[in-house]
Amino acid sequence: MMRIGLLASIVALLLGAPLVLSGHVVGVLTTALIAVLFAMAFNLLSGRAGMLSFGHAAYFAIGGFAVIHAMQAVEKGLLWLPTPLLPLVGGVAGLIGGLCAGYFATLRSGVYFSMVTLALAELLHAIAPNLGSIFGGEVGLTTMRMPWTSFDYGNEVHVYYTVVAWVVLCIGLLYAYNQTLFGRLTVGVREAERRVSFLGYNLHHTKIIVFGVSAMFSGIAGGLLAFTTESINYSILGMGMSASVVLHTFVGGSGVFFGPAVGAFVFALFGSLVSDMTKNWLLYQGILFVGIMMFMGDGLAMLWLRIVNEFKERNWSALKLRALLLPPGLLVAAGVVTLLELTSRILDQQYAAIVSRTKAWPPVSLYGFNWNPTALATWLVPILAIGAGAGLVFLAISRAGREAAPRAALAGEHAR
Amino acid sequence: MEFIVISALNGLVYGLLLFMVSAGLTLIFGMMGIVNFAHASFYMLGAYLSFTIARISNFWLALLIAPLIVMAAGMFIERFMLRRVHGFGHSQQLLLTFGIAFVFEELVKLFWGNFPVAYRPPPLLSGPAFSLFGTNFPSYRVFVAAVAIVLLGLLYLLLQKTRIGIIVRASVQRPGMVSALGHNVPLVFLGVFGVGAWMAGLAGAVGGALLTTSPTMSGEMSVIAFVVVVVGGLGSLLGAFIASLLIGLLTSFSVGFQVSLADVAQLFGYGEQARQIGGLLTLEISSMSASLPALLMLVVLLTRPAGLMGDRN
Amino acid sequence: MTKDIIQLTDLRKRFGESEIIRGVDLGVKRGERHALIGPNGAGKSTLFHLISGLYKPSSGDIRLNGDSIAGLAPHLITRRGLSRSFQITTIFPRLSVYENLRIAAMARHGRRYALFSLASKATVINRDTDELLELVRLTQARDKFAGDLTYSEQRALEIGMAIGPGADVILLDEPMAGMSREETHYMLNLIRDITQGKTLLVVEHDMEVVFSLCDRISVLVYGEVIASGTPEEIRSNGRVQEAYLGEVPA
Repeated sequence: MMRIGLLASIVALLLGAPLVLSGHVVGVLTTALIAVLFAMAFNLLSGRAGMLSFGHAAYFAIGGFAVIHAMQAVEKGLLWLPTPLLPLVGGVAGLIGGLCAGYFATLRSGVYFSMVTLALAELLHAIAPNLGSIFGGEVGLTTMRMPWTSFDYGNEVHVYYTVVAWVVLCIGLLYAYNQTLFGRLTVGVREAERRVSFLGYNLHHTKIIVFGVSAMFSGIAGGLLAFTTESINYSILGMGMSASVVLHTFVGGSGVFFGPAVGAFVFALFGSLVSDMTKNWLLYQGILFVGIMMFMGDGLAMLWLRIVNEFKERNWSALKLRALLLPPGLLVAAGVVTLLELTSRILDQQYAAIVSRTKAWPPVSLYGFNWNPTALATWLVPILAIGAGAGLVFLAISRAGREAAPRAALAGEHAR
Repeated sequence: MEFIVISALNGLVYGLLLFMVSAGLTLIFGMMGIVNFAHASFYMLGAYLSFTIARISNFWLALLIAPLIVMAAGMFIERFMLRRVHGFGHSQQLLLTFGIAFVFEELVKLFWGNFPVAYRPPPLLSGPAFSLFGTNFPSYRVFVAAVAIVLLGLLYLLLQKTRIGIIVRASVQRPGMVSALGHNVPLVFLGVFGVGAWMAGLAGAVGGALLTTSPTMSGEMSVIAFVVVVVGGLGSLLGAFIASLLIGLLTSFSVGFQVSLADVAQLFGYGEQARQIGGLLTLEISSMSASLPALLMLVVLLTRPAGLMGDRN
Repeated sequence: MTKDIIQLTDLRKRFGESEIIRGVDLGVKRGERHALIGPNGAGKSTLFHLISGLYKPSSGDIRLNGDSIAGLAPHLITRRGLSRSFQITTIFPRLSVYENLRIAAMARHGRRYALFSLASKATVINRDTDELLELVRLTQARDKFAGDLTYSEQRALEIGMAIGPGADVILLDEPMAGMSREETHYMLNLIRDITQGKTLLVVEHDMEVVFSLCDRISVLVYGEVIASGTPEEIRSNGRVQEAYLGEVPA
């Protein structure tokens, strides 16, 4: 019941957001929601069915291009389709693309599968610029949204509500999928493929369908993006998009239904927030991802659930350890960020030009302070922070000893 | 004739370079079951480091030092990162190496900028080596091929003639057995990972000046190296060698082919119709050369799922 | 011979140079409990893999109910009424026991692509799942993760997964391996109960189990069946004693 209440209030917040937020923020929310849907569609394949795809941008992009073409057709009067239903075209295109690509990719399992998905996406990425009529060449394609009833689609808010409706609907459908008999079988594919086929299921066909469904929802997400931006370019097929959905999903946690949503939402929001402050945002994403893979394994959502559980069980020792680990952890993070930001400012082209012109190293500004790059202290402070933080983390863990709960708190239950 | 010989030579050079990267990937995959996404990052790191070292001192020193730094980085990753998640399953390892590759790419952008750097062969090797049919063949290409062949010879001797080589080959075949015989498998893993990284680093150090040194080079190399591993067959070095040369030749020949499906249709008298349809039909093979490796991989997966030299077809 | 539900004729399997199964002829009658015994490396598991479709035979024929199933994919063989357990437990560790068995029960009803049926509304399948739970005596562990069960419970679930699709012919690959005496006894009763009216082919090393469970025994040595008969016949067969039973205290 509590969960339903939480979900209802999230939906209510999403619906009310445009009333208080500026147009720019609504735009950010729109892209964040699209990232959420993409991550959840991706997780159906990679988390639920255990088939790690490194080329999911392909289906996202196919959906996007299909929607742009549909919008152009509507604009020219060749096609009649109410504007809010346009993302559906992306879903159909994603489904078809996913079934075709899935046929090949699911011929193999495990790491081979991952490599095939990567190769398939690269295949499309390499061919796309040469197919001008479909992918619009290097420039890409642009179009206009047509008005629909009282929605003239002239401002962000109309687009935003359409996106919210689609995302909520699709997440609902994904949830329902997990509750169907086939949805249960999907998890069986992840757990023991051999058993699935020896129970009488056609493993290949089963996998193709899962792939297709995942690609369909990815296509809707891509369609929503095209719908929002009214333009698309072949660069969306590149590795960057495929990588970001992997990062979002596993930072959020693939083992929890809303895990990928958490990851995508947090990253998309943070991304637009800090992208003005730093150009290293992707690097921090990568470092966070590596850290989570190494120390937690199952992502932020699972961490949250564990903390909630510890509160319920009144497992104070585990909670105390977490509280103890937080400040030194933040200290390490602050040290790393400072170090990287200083480095990036010194390596900046403008700065390098100044250095070569004046033959001196002027101080750089960070957090409102001036840091002298030639002073030892500038570098020693962040390095000491990292060292001290890491030392304290180590100390806290070894103090806690080999108690089961605190161990699990850090290492995560990877077997799960 | 000229086209064929020059293309064959170019393809051979590219194929040999490819093998320097994919050999390590294959060995690591065969032994540890890890598809190391960060392997092509070692290639990129080798190129960037030797570019910088060559600028500070000279090219030859760069060739010596850069791969060693890459090797150290590789061993660090194996010892302190991959080993940590060992036992959490292959997908966890795959994801971790994927993340490491991502971080490497961003670090390269941070330190060297998000654009290609001007990494060029040293003056000594910038001239032509010989000329064929009036075309000069650059001596740097000959040098790259020579480095690769020497490396290939060393690798062969190491694997075939030394005790370590026997252990490595045995653990590719039967990973469990080797530790049962009392060998220190973690140490062997560390060594193989280091050597693999070193080879990729060296490939980057020489290849960066031949091709381009840019932040996207690792992503591109990753895909092609994976294609080599799949086409060659699981953990088979011979397979990787054949597949590397095959892809090298395929790429270099396709660049010169100005033929499209419509031209083929022309032979049967349907040229006009095909040209009207356009799209894929009028796409020239030369403009598809970047996607040919991936295409080859699909064909192999359909016809020989375990690869050319895989024994589990 | 037509009464045989499984019939192997001159079955052979080569791996490269070496022939592991060297011309096996074997008939299993409907409703019988048939044991396959033999020393390690005799090819028992390989034979199981051939019958169940994991390997394709190099030559020879496998008939199930008179139809050839040689070389068919595993899922097609299962759909024709033959399913199996594995020596290495092959269950869904991060699903509950109930979900494990439900996926098996779904297969029985041919609900292979049930994309639009909610699991909670599938009353027939859920009833069958409950029956399966009862049958393998895991009702108490219904909501536990399969991976958290004790070893013998996991083996019981493994057998449940084998009978779940509703096959008439069940192949059990070393169901007692690694079990204590009490667990073996418990499992023996369980297997007897749940294979009522079905045909059972079992590979087992525990001779006590074999002799008390099975109606017929075939002895496989170096890829060939050297003897086939009732437990008494096998016990008194000179060749068998020489080749195999000599190792076991009588």
